[in-house]
Amino acid sequence: MTAAIILLILIPLGNKNGYIDNVTINLWGRYLAFAIVAIGIDLVWGFTGVLSLCQALFFGLGGYAIAMHMSLHKSGSPATLPDFMAWNGITELPLFWQPFQSFPATLLLGLIIPGIAAFILAYFAFRSRIKGVYFAIITQALAFAAYLLFLRNETMLGGTNGLTDFKVLLGLNLSDSDVKLGLYMLTAATMLAVYIGSRKLVHSKLGKVLVAIRDSEHRVRYTGYSATAFKVFIFVAAAVIAALGGMLYVPQTGIITPGRMDVQASIEMIVWVAVGGRGTLAGAILGALGVNMLYSYATSAFPGSWLYILGILFIAVVLLIPKGLVGLFANFPPSIEKEKWSVQIAQLARYTKLF
Amino acid sequence: MHTLRIKLFLGLLLAGLTCFGANDSGRIFRKLAGNHPDSVASAIENMVNDGSPEYYYILNALLESSLYTHPRIVENAGLVTALLDKNQQLKLYSCFPGGKELHIASFIASDLTEIKIPRKTRNLIQPVAAKIQLYHWNPEKKKLAMKSIAASGTIDDLALLQKVLANETDPNVIKAGTDAINQLSLLLPDAADRIKAIDGLQENNSPDALSILSAHAQIEQDPTVLKHIQQAVDSIESSNRRTEIAQNLFTGLSLGSVLILMALGLAIIYGLMGIINMAHGEFMMIGAYTTFIVQGIFIDLVPPAFFNYYFWVAMPCSFVIAGLFGILIETLIIRHLYNKPLESLLATWGVSLILIQLARTIFGDLTAVKAPSFATGGLELSSQLTLPYNRLFIMGLTIAVIIIIQLLLSKTTLGLKIRAVTQNRNMSACLGVPTGRINRYAFFLGTGIAGLAGWAITLVGNVVPNMGQTFIVDSFLVVVTGGVGKLLGTVFSGLGMGFLTKIFEPFFQAVYGKVIILILVILFLQVKPTGLFPAKGRSED
Repeated sequence: MTAAIILLILIPLGNKNGYIDNVTINLWGRYLAFAIVAIGIDLVWGFTGVLSLCQALFFGLGGYAIAMHMSLHKSGSPATLPDFMAWNGITELPLFWQPFQSFPATLLLGLIIPGIAAFILAYFAFRSRIKGVYFAIITQALAFAAYLLFLRNETMLGGTNGLTDFKVLLGLNLSDSDVKLGLYMLTAATMLAVYIGSRKLVHSKLGKVLVAIRDSEHRVRYTGYSATAFKVFIFVAAAVIAALGGMLYVPQTGIITPGRMDVQASIEMIVWVAVGGRGTLAGAILGALGVNMLYSYATSAFPGSWLYILGILFIAVVLLIPKGLVGLFANFPPSIEKEKWSVQIAQLARYTKLF
Repeated sequence: MHTLRIKLFLGLLLAGLTCFGANDSGRIFRKLAGNHPDSVASAIENMVNDGSPEYYYILNALLESSLYTHPRIVENAGLVTALLDKNQQLKLYSCFPGGKELHIASFIASDLTEIKIPRKTRNLIQPVAAKIQLYHWNPEKKKLAMKSIAASGTIDDLALLQKVLANETDPNVIKAGTDAINQLSLLLPDAADRIKAIDGLQENNSPDALSILSAHAQIEQDPTVLKHIQQAVDSIESSNRRTEIAQNLFTGLSLGSVLILMALGLAIIYGLMGIINMAHGEFMMIGAYTTFIVQGIFIDLVPPAFFNYYFWVAMPCSFVIAGLFGILIETLIIRHLYNKPLESLLATWGVSLILIQLARTIFGDLTAVKAPSFATGGLELSSQLTLPYNRLFIMGLTIAVIIIIQLLLSKTTLGLKIRAVTQNRNMSACLGVPTGRINRYAFFLGTGIAGLAGWAITLVGNVVPNMGQTFIVDSFLVVVTGGVGKLLGTVFSGLGMGFLTKIFEPFFQAVYGKVIILILVILFLQVKPTGLFPAKGRSED
């Protein structure tokens, strides 16, 4: 609740009155878009135990959808041919670009296409009981293959440079500070909505079945539930949520490239959730915000060493804080009414397996 | 008295005759040895006008700036040819008649004085250069000369080519000569001769045969000959297609072998310890960089004659150093993650990021490893199909590694313990098998093999920090399809992936081929979800 107040009321007020500048608003808008994706990942990995290494792909699909729409409407309402097509000598809009001229269709397609892709993959994988690591490797290969496909020029999606240079969405100028604020608020609201929806889901019977699948899939099957159906459902849900995050992300960034959806990006998203604490929705949000803030800080303070930091973060999270930051602070801070400090520190140490 | 005077006179006459007559060559050589531009020019003019092939050796030497005089040589007015042999040593050869190696005690290169061609004389030689080079000592130059005469010559040159070919022994040059003769014969007036020439070109099937025939088809009038040309072209094209397929299959085989090497290590590690090693590609990179460093050491410290041995020295180095890094990672990180594949996936991904960045910081983004000399060139099966030695070597290495690993696992005690721990870790521990140590050995083995793969891949690719990334996704797919139960599964699926990738390449681009292979893998997993040869034993949920 407090988070909602801060995000939706205080920060926008601060921006309006000049306390918080536009760059920060934009940054936080992007962080919140990432947080949306992280919630989806938490649903499918933290609660159901299915590691998916292609969430960045779904994120990118949603992002590309909205980018295609914006590229077509660069100079306002009538649709014009995107620049890179003119450079490549293409004179007519390809068939698969046509539906993106209308905004409602874009919204729909941006969510449906990743959903269908996820459904096909999940259906064929889960129905033949491909589990755990093998499934993760398949998703990694899919992300890699899709990344390579999007890099090609003949797929007419902008190639290595991606889609960029769009300034107008629905007639609103994207560099206008009011529009930026509006986008931020939209993203924050969406994130809160997704969070509330996920909480409801998790506390419902469906959520309990998901957790049961994570803990012991065999027993779930024995008790008559179709584990495949649940897994497919939650995988598709996570994909759609990731695509939603992508659609909110791209207008605030102004560019989408294939690099945003390669294997490394997907694994980074997993690390957000791992750092924050999987199995707890708040942890996912915390992790996404935290790691990205660290990224912004590290790339300006220690340029060139981000990959070292990220790598060490991976290892540290897995080895030392397996329950994530949320789990870490569950028994922290020590309070005088509870046990003695030493006992609490000992608990903490045991938690983090430092000793 | 009387007879003495007659003998003296006859002797002087004889001397005078030899001075003037048959010893033209002596005069020419003295003019050359004088090294004065005018006398050299006049000597060259004499040789060219004379036209006899015996002078061509000297003319070739002059064209190559390899004609010198040496003060201690007596014959031919001290003229010698000096050439570098394949070990970069300077050797002396006689120049008239040419080609005989000369040995001089305590020979120093600075004793030689070069005979330079005056610039204006080059223009004199140029028109007949091709003919002169027909007599060059270097077979490559001979072949080139033949080609150029065939391309720009006339029917009159046919006789010259045939004369040169009659004394030729080198089979490559004979082939090139036959092609040249056939190419020129296409200009003959008689249709039957032309048909014979076409057949000859088709039989030899040199790389240019197709273009020569097609070019001639444009100017040919006779319909029967045209039909003949068409048949020849068709047959050449179909044989080219066949060799292309064979070449593709071969490259697929070699690609598959690299994948097998990588996947072997991965399968051993996953099968034994239940961890996924995302950093496996980086161990391959470590092996490759070790080879690079060893090469650097050899360049700096070892005399050039032994340079090629760096490759063999690098082999155990790559294996050991990659293995040591593996043990380091195992002790620090992997040890805590047994049987937790998803966690190990993330942790080893972090390790891979760090290793790549380390390599980038230390070595920069682009380095090059020079292949040792035995690995350049290839085995020529036919004129179009060459099996490069380096790829053959990699395949041989893979076979050797597979056999060694199989023997290790099935015949040695260590192999027995590894198999035991793979099947049932707890029971093996109860029976006294030191599981911790076995883990370390197996990890050393797995990463060492990856290092070997890196060592081998320096023959075919560049050494860059992220070279491991190109292989890791495919290697994992190989492990997934092959299953971790038996080595054979990895071998089959590795070969299959290599073949499929290369088979799809001519039809689709490499990228679409990857997508298709992925779809095929998913479909295959429908039937066999744990791979070809899944691990046996009790699986806990």
